[in-house]
Amino acid sequence: MQVRHVLAVLFVGLCWISSAKAAGFETRAALPAPELKAHDLSGATRTLADYRGKVVLLNFWATWCPPCLREMPSLERLRIRMAGQALEIVAISSAETPEEVKAYLSKMKLGFPILLDSDSSNTRRWKVFALPTTFVLDAEGRIRHVLTGPTEWDEGEALAVIDGMLADRPGHANKKK
Amino acid sequence: MRMRIFSFFLSGLWLCALAAHAGMPEYQTFPADGQRLLLWVASGQGRSDAELVAARNLARQGVEVWSLDPTSAYFLPPVASSMDALPVEDLAAWFGAAQETGKRVAVFAVARAAVPVLRAAALLQPGPRSRLCVVLMHPNLYTVTTPLDEPDYLDPGDLSGLRVRVLQPRRSAATPWLPGLLERLSQHGAIVSDALLENLREDYWMRETPTDFEMAAGRHMDGMLLHQLDRWGCK
Repeated sequence: MQVRHVLAVLFVGLCWISSAKAAGFETRAALPAPELKAHDLSGATRTLADYRGKVVLLNFWATWCPPCLREMPSLERLRIRMAGQALEIVAISSAETPEEVKAYLSKMKLGFPILLDSDSSNTRRWKVFALPTTFVLDAEGRIRHVLTGPTEWDEGEALAVIDGMLADRPGHANKKK
Repeated sequence: MRMRIFSFFLSGLWLCALAAHAGMPEYQTFPADGQRLLLWVASGQGRSDAELVAARNLARQGVEVWSLDPTSAYFLPPVASSMDALPVEDLAAWFGAAQETGKRVAVFAVARAAVPVLRAAALLQPGPRSRLCVVLMHPNLYTVTTPLDEPDYLDPGDLSGLRVRVLQPRRSAATPWLPGLLERLSQHGAIVSDALLENLREDYWMRETPTDFEMAAGRHMDGMLLHQLDRWGCK
């Protein structure tokens, strides 16, 4: 009887811990996104209009930020997992030079677009106060979820958020894989 | 002349009244014969070894240091939010005691310790406040920050005439927000200046995995501080 009681307490505790770990995403009521205007590594200008019709995962990061670098492999795994789906992962480096970003990318091969916010104008427009901060936008370019801090993007709540967003796209049959 | 004596008398009375209500925090002294006194207030994470080394080195160069580890002095948990709970009257009394030595007093505060330091400075009379130099290392004065929303700052009180220099490591999420912070301090009456510390992250002298550059900079905090105080005219 006592063992069963202890197990029940442990189970409740585990549920509480796992829910606390997953409670990072903040849902927004389809907010219009601020302007995004940044250069990619080739110097071309990119805006949100370039990704219209796709779910966009916009990740503000920096090469000096250990939590940002910790989550990068999971973003790459997410890209591979979601290949062929209407998802665009975009990582925007906050207040760094192209040289700093290129030095990091020479060691870490990433298949998603990297943008530069060298003058931090996008960081200020999006009101980003901590790194990493990630916004998940719907296919109309509206902000639906915000996460401050790192996560493993190819599992758990993060993956559920992305799956949900892809399923909710207009014209989509609203079926999950 | 009479006015000066009278204002000195009033300041003394005010200091006595403040001391009557306030305790003095426990702090560590690094005596020196020079005419400068630096009040070093560690962050909520506590005082690091590198800070003690810097204090010793400063004393060797003639700058007396009074080093305060607020969480230890007030038995508070070693987290940033503990800084908001510090009795600012105690700090104001500590500033007053430092100024009574007749030395040129500067206060150096790290991270969230900026909040009680500014609030204590706001309690000073205009004269003593204008004679104080405050150097803030990557200060955090936010009440709360939410992505997509304007930042909300704490009210530090009246900082009229207080000279505040902000040292901001470049590699920080706070760097893009430095102009807004300086503007806020100016709105409260502070005379502000700033310096960006290149190639460094916040708390570079006590990080778990510092870069070579950060380790070298961490060993020369005394020189960096003297340089910043001199450049700013706090001699």
